[in-house]
Amino acid sequence: MRLALSLLLAVLLAVPFVAEKQPYLLHVLILCCLYAIPAVGLNLMLGYTGLVSLGHMAFAGVGAYTAAVLMVDARLGFWPALAAGVLAAGAAGAAIGAICLRFRTHFFMIVTLAFGLMLYSVMNNWDEVTRGAAGFPGIPRPAPLGSFSFGPLPNFYYLALGAAAAAFAVQWIVVRSGFGRVLVALRQDERLAQAKGVNTMLYKTAIFALGSAIAGLGGVLQVSFLRVAAPASFSLAESINAVLIVIVGGAGSLAGPALGALVFVGLPEYLRVAAEWRLVLFGVMLVLIVLFAPQGLAGLVKKARA
Amino acid sequence: MRRLAAVFLFLLVCSAGAQEKLAVGIITSLSGPMAAPGKFQMNGFRLAEEEINSAGGFSVAGKKYLVDLKVYDTRANPAEGASAMQRLATVDKVPLVLGELHSGVAAAAAPVAQDYGVPLILTIPTGPNLTEQGNRFLFRVNANNDQLTQALADFISKQGWTPLSFIAWNNDAGRGGVNGMKKLLGEPRIGYVGYFNVGEVDFSSHVSNIRAGNARAVMLLMDEEPGSLAIKQLRDAGLKTQLVGTLAMGSDRFLKRLDAQRLAGMVQYNAFPPNANVPGIRAFSERYRKKYGEEAHGFAAQSYDGLKLAAAALEKAGKIDGRALRDALAGIEYQGVIGQIRFDAKGQAHPPVYVTQWCADGKRRILYPENLKADCGAG
Amino acid sequence: MLSAVLEQTINGLMAGSVYVLVALGMVLIYGVMHVLNFAHGVLLMVGAYACHFFFTRATGSYLLSILLSVVVLAVLGIALERAVFRPLQGNLRNQVIASLGLILVFENLVVALWGPNALQMQVPATASLVSVGELRFPVQHVLIIAATLLVVLLLFIFLKTSKFGTAIRATSQDRMAAMVVGIPVERIDWMTFGLGTALAALGGALIGPLFLVFPQMGDAPMVKGLAGILLGGMGSVPGAVLGGFIIGIAESVSTLFLPTDYRDSVAFSVMVLILLAWPRGIFGVQVRGED
Repeated sequence: MRLALSLLLAVLLAVPFVAEKQPYLLHVLILCCLYAIPAVGLNLMLGYTGLVSLGHMAFAGVGAYTAAVLMVDARLGFWPALAAGVLAAGAAGAAIGAICLRFRTHFFMIVTLAFGLMLYSVMNNWDEVTRGAAGFPGIPRPAPLGSFSFGPLPNFYYLALGAAAAAFAVQWIVVRSGFGRVLVALRQDERLAQAKGVNTMLYKTAIFALGSAIAGLGGVLQVSFLRVAAPASFSLAESINAVLIVIVGGAGSLAGPALGALVFVGLPEYLRVAAEWRLVLFGVMLVLIVLFAPQGLAGLVKKARA
Repeated sequence: MRRLAAVFLFLLVCSAGAQEKLAVGIITSLSGPMAAPGKFQMNGFRLAEEEINSAGGFSVAGKKYLVDLKVYDTRANPAEGASAMQRLATVDKVPLVLGELHSGVAAAAAPVAQDYGVPLILTIPTGPNLTEQGNRFLFRVNANNDQLTQALADFISKQGWTPLSFIAWNNDAGRGGVNGMKKLLGEPRIGYVGYFNVGEVDFSSHVSNIRAGNARAVMLLMDEEPGSLAIKQLRDAGLKTQLVGTLAMGSDRFLKRLDAQRLAGMVQYNAFPPNANVPGIRAFSERYRKKYGEEAHGFAAQSYDGLKLAAAALEKAGKIDGRALRDALAGIEYQGVIGQIRFDAKGQAHPPVYVTQWCADGKRRILYPENLKADCGAG
Repeated sequence: MLSAVLEQTINGLMAGSVYVLVALGMVLIYGVMHVLNFAHGVLLMVGAYACHFFFTRATGSYLLSILLSVVVLAVLGIALERAVFRPLQGNLRNQVIASLGLILVFENLVVALWGPNALQMQVPATASLVSVGELRFPVQHVLIIAATLLVVLLLFIFLKTSKFGTAIRATSQDRMAAMVVGIPVERIDWMTFGLGTALAALGGALIGPLFLVFPQMGDAPMVKGLAGILLGGMGSVPGAVLGGFIIGIAESVSTLFLPTDYRDSVAFSVMVLILLAWPRGIFGVQVRGED
């Protein structure tokens, strides 16, 4: 396991050297990282704790727009803006999560969907601050660290890869901690956990806030990469995509979000050739995965190894 | 006979197959919420492609090239816009890219164009700040929201049609239009503003509020499909208020959705009047009708001009190279069907903005600009 | 002011009728199978396309076309239940995911087959106007409200009096017990699914002529219908009716007082506030698995 992981890391680190002549490949891999990061946050909520949020990407938007405003209007550097964006997303997650978590299962799903749409409305409508529906252009790439500039694609790739690695590391730490074990217990039997004296609301709010903060990290990096923040990147459709990434990859598995993002971002790019039919194909594939591989791709990999 | 001619033409084209094909990148919405206007954009590009190629292509430094459009779908999604642009620039290695509808997506594609020195020519997005980012590889053929509203505000003020109310898409086009008008006319001359989401079709609550208000005119900032519904609902409810529409509403196709009686008196801005008595416009409109069986659309005209202009710029540049092409574009003067196209230092063109009006018999007249005024049948 | 509120309430009733038609199908399916079918909105859209197809290409009779599209969609619904939702029984999460996948399939399939442009469906008989005092409405609008009320009424009668209806209610309340007393729950499942999608088709066929037939036409009604069944009380038919109307009216009346670009937010805030007061919705019923 450890060998496989270090091998994977070595390959990922080596990609820019091999793919120097293929910036498009790097571009797609960066997008995979940027989609995988919010998916890690959602995986903690959905996969481990059983909280299916349909408004997840809106929190990425909170982080993204916070950082965008700070960088462009307040002329703050990338790193403090990143920190502020992550914090803002986490705080929004804690506040809104505290309301959403009063509800369960389907109720929870739809209430999160509702808040996602409301946050989207704010991003779309608050012209003075967010620049509204036309998008917020001119967001800078991070300033160079020493002589290491993040402008060129290979260098931004390392940033995205590093951030994704950090997100996965957080996921790993959380899942292995006592905190994580409580979360899994909550998913399996919340009443039992409650009876044992666990303050379930506190745990769930904490994971909602953490998941949202991780989403915020993804959001800030995304707008810095695309150099524009647009409400369309944080819409209901994108939140649904995040759920699909987690499920296709394998909810509740450590590698799930990475596999899901690879399939979700990589495959449509590959299918780009099929233009009008690619989304139909993608939908059919999703249904088939859910029907025949309910543990997602991670489950398939595990089965293949067993 | 016609078939024979077609076969002959085909053979002719094949024999000319020695000519090299030059891939030109197109980004547009083939699916997603902007797919319908995306179709008009593609119609314009396809028509221009066909025309350029049937005329034997264009020559760069003495060599003839045929256009080969490489089309990618961006689904009104910024990340997809950046990906498509990246792929066109580095995998397909096209010398230039045209298209896009959505301002947010264009804003994500534009920096990539700059990264690789591949000019991006926008033909529909209207967000004014797109061309304010100091991106020397970004060009816009169409008038932006500020230019459009400038012309319309001027016209509306002269007519005394204020307070002005709105029913507007809650997206970049609709909000941009409302905000632009607010800026130019001033808040006191703005009445009720009814926003709706793309895909919503029931305007009854907006209609009621407009009826209850004191607006002299209602501006409909949307595409032709919701536009026809909005007018139907306003007129069915008995409102006789002056209507002001967008370029999507000055076409025979739009007339077919409604009827002359409901439309009579309505004015709309337009990028080009399909029936104007200008030879270039007439010829374009006829070819368009022949190919697609309907009247030409403003989005199609803008996109058609975009590609034709790009071919002209390539000839002028004298080599297939993004940077040379950029310089050629910056200095080009091109007489398109939407009018004279010349890019300013920011890459923004300043085509004329027309205001046309529906006559009682279902024809249109040109009201604005003053020097191009023409009576029913010319708009 | 009062008259303005009244007028907006009428507008809200009209918008709400569409939400109710969507909500009814979803709530029936939810009650029996405990499936939340997010693809219900696209099924409404497919129903409208089917109706448009039969009307313009085959029959020329609006009534017959409605009937045909309802039948076709019922069959489609049954097929989906068999192929997708039954195999996923008991897995709430994956059922929702599968239904999200179905949205992608149907919405893009329709674009690929019919193109992205909206289709018009002109039914001359329903295009004329009726006047109510100062207000004027197209007949079709009144028809939608009437049809919605009729469907609600028929559904109540059907659920209360018919054997199938009683079986649906029994299965909704307690699936195990229903099985024990010999109700063929699997048959009830697919029949309910067919009934639910048939209702979606009816909704699509009814709003087609008034508005347009286009790929995204089911999206807004689905989301609002969802809010409606939630605040009305998940699994409760009267709740779905009340919820759909509340959402419609709240949206309309809000345009008198609040910026219209926050209309959606108003609808959802109302939903959240009502849920905070009644966590199970207004007519909340205990649904197995919910707790």
